[in-house]
Amino acid sequence: MRNDSESNQALESALLDIVAEEAMVDRAILTPEAQLENLDIASADFVMILMAIEENFGIYISVDNELADLKTVQDLLTLATKKITDDDSSEDKAE
Amino acid sequence: MSRHRVVITGAGAFSACGKGAQTLWQAARDGNSGVREVRFERIVDQKVTQAAAISDALLSENEVHDRPRLQDRVSKFALIATQEAMTQAGLAPGDIGEETGVIVGTGFGGADTLDRNYWIFSRQENERMDPFCIPRIMNNAAASWISIIWGATGPVYCNSTACSAASQSIGLAYQMVQAGIMQRCITGGTEGCVVPGVFKAWESLRVLSPTKCRPFSRDRNGMVLGEGAGILVIETLDSAQARGAEVLAEIVGYGTSSDAGDLLRPDPAGAAASMGKAIADAGIQPVDIGYINAHGTATVANDSCETGAMRAVFGDALDDIAVSSTKPVHGHALGAAGALEMIVTLGALREQMAPPNLNFTEADSKVPLTPVLGQARAIDTRYCLSNSFAFGGINASLILGLAPQ
Repeated sequence: MRNDSESNQALESALLDIVAEEAMVDRAILTPEAQLENLDIASADFVMILMAIEENFGIYISVDNELADLKTVQDLLTLATKKITDDDSSEDKAE
Repeated sequence: MSRHRVVITGAGAFSACGKGAQTLWQAARDGNSGVREVRFERIVDQKVTQAAAISDALLSENEVHDRPRLQDRVSKFALIATQEAMTQAGLAPGDIGEETGVIVGTGFGGADTLDRNYWIFSRQENERMDPFCIPRIMNNAAASWISIIWGATGPVYCNSTACSAASQSIGLAYQMVQAGIMQRCITGGTEGCVVPGVFKAWESLRVLSPTKCRPFSRDRNGMVLGEGAGILVIETLDSAQARGAEVLAEIVGYGTSSDAGDLLRPDPAGAAASMGKAIADAGIQPVDIGYINAHGTATVANDSCETGAMRAVFGDALDDIAVSSTKPVHGHALGAAGALEMIVTLGALREQMAPPNLNFTEADSKVPLTPVLGQARAIDTRYCLSNSFAFGGINASLILGLAPQ
């Protein structure tokens, strides 16, 4: 459990780096409860974020209903983490 | 100004389902998908691997051999479909002239030629570029080749409005024939986009499904690319009757609108305006429509937008109208989409059967619509509607009516 939790934290941290860079948002204001809308993260930014996730974690995520429904930074982290860890090949690449 | 009635006397299709308008219609009606696995050597670690692609073998078996070195596959597709449509219309090259125009749309034009030659150019390995790149790539090449080979010396246009290109081409042709600007038009759309560079570009936009194309389903996650050509021969009813040509159906309504909003995110108001204008042009009521061939790309945005628009136009009556997207069968053929789907709609009207919406697994609360599920459903109607909505916010709707008795 503890290892899972630690690796999840590392993964979320890496994802936050990606979100900050791709959406051009200050990393410091990317708090879990922050609303994506308030951060001015729009659909075009999602495409860039998903591209970076593919480059870093080797998984392809298309825009689906789950992605379209995201409201907060935590929603985004939870969904991306789920998709990355659901992917069979992700474990090694996520290190 | 008196308006001519405009009828269809020939239809031709070339798609991943094979050669022939009837082949395409039967595939849609019977739910036989032309989607297959596609692998590109040049895409490293390819993630999306499905497309309704036309194989080299299918193309070479059906190619119309008339100066093929000068033609990209996008023009070859169009010429195959044109030959079928003209033969059905009972027209030969010597039969037509200035009274016949050509309006054939495309989104990407000669994508294969562009892709291959940019690859050669970018590697700088002293490999010769095709000296005929320009005439092969230009978007109007297919329309011009049709004009040249068949001797149509009337107006020639190439409408390039992405996924609405074919529907707008047919709509414009209908309006011009109706207005007496030309008596007959060879019209539709063609696309040869399943090539490495274009495929990768679509994948990068994150709108291609990594699994299956599931229009209107809650778990939809993107579209599947398709390609091919759909060509119609349309003419005035007077012209068809004077020639003793068989009339397949009548084009009774066309509507088009622009969202004037977001380049990529569709607006239900724009889509509703397009359908509303087509219905008004046809002089019928929304409830008179018995089948809608939806744009139904299976992207999150399109399907919720289109359903909202259909609800706005049809209200509760939508529940009694058969609706399906046939894109899981022929793929999203972009600039050819509206023409292939018009041919499916023509089949639906003539056989009074609404084709099924494949791959639907569960309803989406944001998409209040149950499409035709499972297998084709019998309909009893005089009118069918086909929608196309494009990036750029361009919407087009066409209505077909039963052939005049």
